Amino acid sequence: MGTLQNFSTRHPIWTVIILVLVVGLAWLVFAPWPPGLEQVLGRKRIFLNAILSGITLGALYFLVASGFTLVFGLMRNVNLAHGSLYLLGGYIGFGVVESTGYWLLAFPVVFVVVGVLGLLLQHQVFRRMEGEELRQTLVTIGLSIVLADLMLWYWGGQSYQVYSPDWLSGPMELPIISSLRSNGDPVYLTYPRVRLAILFAAIVIGLAMWYALNRSRLGMLIRAGVDDRDILAASGVHIQYVFLAVFGFGAGMAGIAGIVGGTFQSLSPGEDTRFLLASLVVVIVGGMGSIPGAAIGALIIGLAEQIGLVYAPTYSVVFTFLIMAVVLAFRPQGLLGAQR
Amino acid sequence: MVALTRPATIGADRSAAERLGSVTTGNALELRGVTKLFGALAAISDVTMSVRPGERRAVLGSNGAGKTTLFNCVTGDFLPTSGTIRLFGEDISNFPAHERIRRGLRRTYQISLLFGGMSVADNVYLACLGVSRGRFSLLRPRPSDPIIGRADELIEAVHLTRVRDTLVSSLSYGQQRQLEIALALAGAPRFILFDEPAAGLSPTERAELIDILTGLPDHIGYIIIEHDMDVALRVAESVTMMHNGRVFKEGTPEEIENDEEVQQLYLGGGHG
Amino acid sequence: MAQALPTTAPGRLTTALERIPAPVWVIAFLLLLMPAFANNFVLYQIFGWSFILGMIALSLMVLAGYGGMVSLAQMTVAALAGYVVAILGTSGVPQISLGWPWWIHIPLAILIATLFGTLVGALAVRTEGIYTIMITLAIAAAFFYFTRQNYVIFNGYTGFNNVIPPALFGVEWRQPVPFYYLTLGCATLSYLAVVWMARTPFGLALQGVRDNPRRMGALGFHVTAHRIFAYTFASVIAAVGGILLVWQSAQVVPGTAGIPQVIDILVVAVVGGLRRPIGPFIGALIYAVLSVFSSDILHAFGMSGERFKLVIGLGFLAFVLFSPDGVLGLWEKYKARRAASPDPLLGGGR
Repeated sequence: MGTLQNFSTRHPIWTVIILVLVVGLAWLVFAPWPPGLEQVLGRKRIFLNAILSGITLGALYFLVASGFTLVFGLMRNVNLAHGSLYLLGGYIGFGVVESTGYWLLAFPVVFVVVGVLGLLLQHQVFRRMEGEELRQTLVTIGLSIVLADLMLWYWGGQSYQVYSPDWLSGPMELPIISSLRSNGDPVYLTYPRVRLAILFAAIVIGLAMWYALNRSRLGMLIRAGVDDRDILAASGVHIQYVFLAVFGFGAGMAGIAGIVGGTFQSLSPGEDTRFLLASLVVVIVGGMGSIPGAAIGALIIGLAEQIGLVYAPTYSVVFTFLIMAVVLAFRPQGLLGAQR
Repeated sequence: MVALTRPATIGADRSAAERLGSVTTGNALELRGVTKLFGALAAISDVTMSVRPGERRAVLGSNGAGKTTLFNCVTGDFLPTSGTIRLFGEDISNFPAHERIRRGLRRTYQISLLFGGMSVADNVYLACLGVSRGRFSLLRPRPSDPIIGRADELIEAVHLTRVRDTLVSSLSYGQQRQLEIALALAGAPRFILFDEPAAGLSPTERAELIDILTGLPDHIGYIIIEHDMDVALRVAESVTMMHNGRVFKEGTPEEIENDEEVQQLYLGGGHG
Repeated sequence: MAQALPTTAPGRLTTALERIPAPVWVIAFLLLLMPAFANNFVLYQIFGWSFILGMIALSLMVLAGYGGMVSLAQMTVAALAGYVVAILGTSGVPQISLGWPWWIHIPLAILIATLFGTLVGALAVRTEGIYTIMITLAIAAAFFYFTRQNYVIFNGYTGFNNVIPPALFGVEWRQPVPFYYLTLGCATLSYLAVVWMARTPFGLALQGVRDNPRRMGALGFHVTAHRIFAYTFASVIAAVGGILLVWQSAQVVPGTAGIPQVIDILVVAVVGGLRRPIGPFIGALIYAVLSVFSSDILHAFGMSGERFKLVIGLGFLAFVLFSPDGVLGLWEKYKARRAASPDPLLGGGR
């Protein structure tokens, strides 16, 4: 936690502001609201729902963006077909759940199928144009156009919903007071079980990725590669294998996120660009190539979108964009991005 | 500020340069405790040195002594981690590169950073344009444009008139080095940093280079990084030795040449 | 890209005209006489549209080819100009449109869109290379979603219909022949402006910034300012193209600058070739022909007529993979191969 200490000594004012915000938010979430506040912000339940939706949406964004940022960080490849991999994963997941009835089974299947597609792309296409960042990016744009039309061809224009299994459906009571009854009994907040499960899974996956990157040998190599590719080449590691592994993993993650997104919301043409853009904004805000950055960026964007949707529906997109513009203006490398 | 350094061919704008020199008394270049860290590695640490206006200084030292890093910090190619840099009395430590250039600082690069896809004339034209008004002009320059005239004079000064319209990428190595120097002489330079201008040159080209350097007007001071002791000692009146990112010795060429430590370290004891 | 500055006495008009090569004269005459032998559909839907698409793609070419910055926000700049024309001028949504005369709303539209484009540039140049693509794409997306949600100014999902050019000089500018000449004129002017710009001090400096930003800083150039000004210049062209585009379809909706449309401009510019200002127009003509006749072409290959995007995507991929300099690159390769006639023993080789 040395970096945290560094931050607090270097930016005492920011530390205080962030602390106040966190404490204020915690109070808003846990304390019963006085009537005056309810007049300003509306019912507490609505506020809590916006926060929770923001956090869970952030979890989904994190799942999509983590693979994107990992691939970008290591290979400097802006994979603009990432959204297509997301949608493809969702469609395949839908197919698996429909035909077998096992929701959980969809995850390994999709991870492997989309991951292998990612391996093929890396091995057959991107390896041939190493170092040509712009060309790689253009290729991914071409791929996303082709994939989008192929998927439209096969799955058509209708929207699909992946059904969650029984053990995850229905609401769940949380130990958070949403309001007080007239007799003073607290009413606890309820929230869809599946969304909380997804949040939990995203946190676990995020921590696992962080742990793998910071503690395992492969992770150290990847991090070394993010900082300096020559180190990786000099360490005698077959850099192509590392690239393959990372690209495959990133693609697989996008596919899995597709199932989650399909359960959470729905799948239809156009969702690919939507989630590609979400990933872009998340990594621009959080810092390109950084997993914790993706987590923070996803949380901020998810919250901004949902809170905006509740309190200023016309301008919710503008909030997202403003956050991005402000970050770019003052910290072009992103909140947790390395100085370039 | 910016407007003070109007373009001119080498030395032609001497009065302007002298006027500036009289406004700012003291040293042309002054470094105080300049340190540049790359990660944990200190490329240069705590470098303090000062150069008088018009002084010609050689910086010697083995590879990795931090000479080029020093130049990069002075010209603003990157900012030093700590320390202050003053140019003619003005603190330029946090200025972007182009602001330093407009105050009369110039440099050449060790590995030629030229515009290979453009002609010699366009390269020098760009250099003259960079320190003049009209950088954003959307009017085409007429042949009578004074900047084109100055560019041609500079090309003449570094003996490249014959290849004026040749693409830079097809010039010989020696010609590219000469062009590097022409780019550094554009406008009204007051202080120039030469990064190994003689490296890889033939003996004839070296002689030409020495002519160009010693022929510079008196008010233009410079620092030259040079491996060839003979060249360095002929074009410099004072010498700074660097070792492992620190200033190791300073003195006149004779003092440095006869210093025992220097001989052991740098000349391998085989000189003199 | 050698941009030799003039060394000899300024070329008089006659000598300048003499220097134009014969094929250019032929193409110029063909374009001018086109209405004599092409039908209205070809004039309006193919050529009119190509000129407009070409102008917007040209603004991307200026940034990418001369400045080394691939911006995906140029279609957005164009659409904003179209929106301003609809909002300040007249449209089928009288409750929003202000109905100001053309000599106010057209210059204002260009001005506002140019300012917006400059602002986008100011944000985008804070980063480099592929970051620029990401950021401009995100900005384009934000604009799309914003116009779709905002009903007060942009009339949300429906946008504006019935946006038509003013009947200046008594001409119905949306009639095929006048519209053809209008777009041809604007396209020619923008093309010449770009050719001119490339050889001005600013253009030369911009190419210097593209090739070697560090050196440009060391020559006294404010690299960032040059990049931002390039966005300003390019945005003027995009804005004019945007106004024409809105007049051509008589409407402006969020989808005018949706993500597919934004990407299409990139496709057009890359397929045509990003190295020369003529490239985007070639790309636009190919794109327009393909999109108008796509269903016929696809049926000929036994496919459903809806797979236009697939053809475009595959074509784009093929160019990016095999000829990154687009059609112009292919043409130059062909010329080079003909010039260096292949050795009969060793064959053509690579």
